[in-house]
Amino acid sequence: MNLAERIAHFRRVAEEWLRGLYHGMVSHPAYEKIEHEAEDQEDTFMLACFPEAFGIPSPVSYYTAELLPYLEDEFEAWERRMWNRGSLLERKGEQYHF
Amino acid sequence: MERFVFFGGKGGVGKTTMSSAYGRKCARAGLETLVVSTDPAHSTADVFDQAFDDEPQPVEGIEGLSVMEIDPDEEVQRHLMETKRALGDQVSPAMVNEIDRQIEMAHQTPGAYEAALFDRFVDVMRDADPYDRIVFDTSPTGGTLRLLSLPEFLEGWIDRLLHKRKKSVKLYERAAIGNQEPRRMMDGDPIIARLQERKETFEFAKRTLRDEAAFFLVVNPDELSIKESRRTVDSLTDHGLTVRGLAVNKLTPEPDDDENGRGARYLRDRVATERERLEELRETFDPPVVAEVETRVREVKGSLLAEVADELDVGV
Repeated sequence: MNLAERIAHFRRVAEEWLRGLYHGMVSHPAYEKIEHEAEDQEDTFMLACFPEAFGIPSPVSYYTAELLPYLEDEFEAWERRMWNRGSLLERKGEQYHF
Repeated sequence: MERFVFFGGKGGVGKTTMSSAYGRKCARAGLETLVVSTDPAHSTADVFDQAFDDEPQPVEGIEGLSVMEIDPDEEVQRHLMETKRALGDQVSPAMVNEIDRQIEMAHQTPGAYEAALFDRFVDVMRDADPYDRIVFDTSPTGGTLRLLSLPEFLEGWIDRLLHKRKKSVKLYERAAIGNQEPRRMMDGDPIIARLQERKETFEFAKRTLRDEAAFFLVVNPDELSIKESRRTVDSLTDHGLTVRGLAVNKLTPEPDDDENGRGARYLRDRVATERERLEELRETFDPPVVAEVETRVREVKGSLLAEVADELDVGV
């Protein structure tokens, strides 16, 4: 290997590392944050759609019931999140990476 | 006159009689007329001495008049079955039971009955083409009022859901890294499409009720009925719907002058009280009194219906 090749190799490695570092420290947490926010929004949507799951009668549950067949993934994920969520603080705290 | 005419009022004041009589009057005037009974305790069958069901059926002996009786229970069942069918097509077997429970529950909530009735209402108004006039014989005051106020209320609700859904989908789209496919997409999202569709239904109902419907209240000349009517007029006005007129039913006939027995004295007293009440109705109510119908000895049927129709001073 001559010098030029070695420099090129080093630069490739450094670039990969930098990209990974940037992704891990900046972009991934940011995307994760957005995704969490999306999930939170979805939770409020699901709650507004199916409050009777918590014993709260809803005036439109008759209409929202027809959405259920199309909400399979959301419904499952929603239930799981509802079970997992210890407190709002915990959920919000998850978004910070130290 | 508007295409859709509603008769409402307290239970037992004679809404069915009035709407049937009016329907007959319209049919006689050459309009293709449909009378729709939305009261769960259907009594149109008794008035015309004929059985009706969920489909419009022509009344025997009266040209151009059809009757249908809406059955919300049937509609709830139909809706349940349809939703379940979609469930079977869409959802993996593992989740079916879980979601099935939710769907069943939603169809047993108190609102389901009203929502089903509302859906049928809108269907009737949408498929109104073959008829020149549709007369709704509504269920007693409370239920009807809630029904008529539903569109605005539901529209607000659906709007909120739509807004939330759009927001979360937008965030998901943003959260998709690079060329990765986002978890949910705005285009072709079945939830947004369905909610939008519902919203349009409510808007249609609101528009139609406001622009193409006329409301009449049937009142009896007694304290309770008058009080309830006052409340009804107020709350209908609150919802932007105006009551076109009051049809006073079950007025006591006056005895002949030479009669002086106990019965005649009773009738005279009764007539005097009712006259006060009528005066009250005329003076303190905004909508005018459009009909004064005397009480009948027998149930209003057949030829009696024609007599009542004549006393009904509501334009065709």
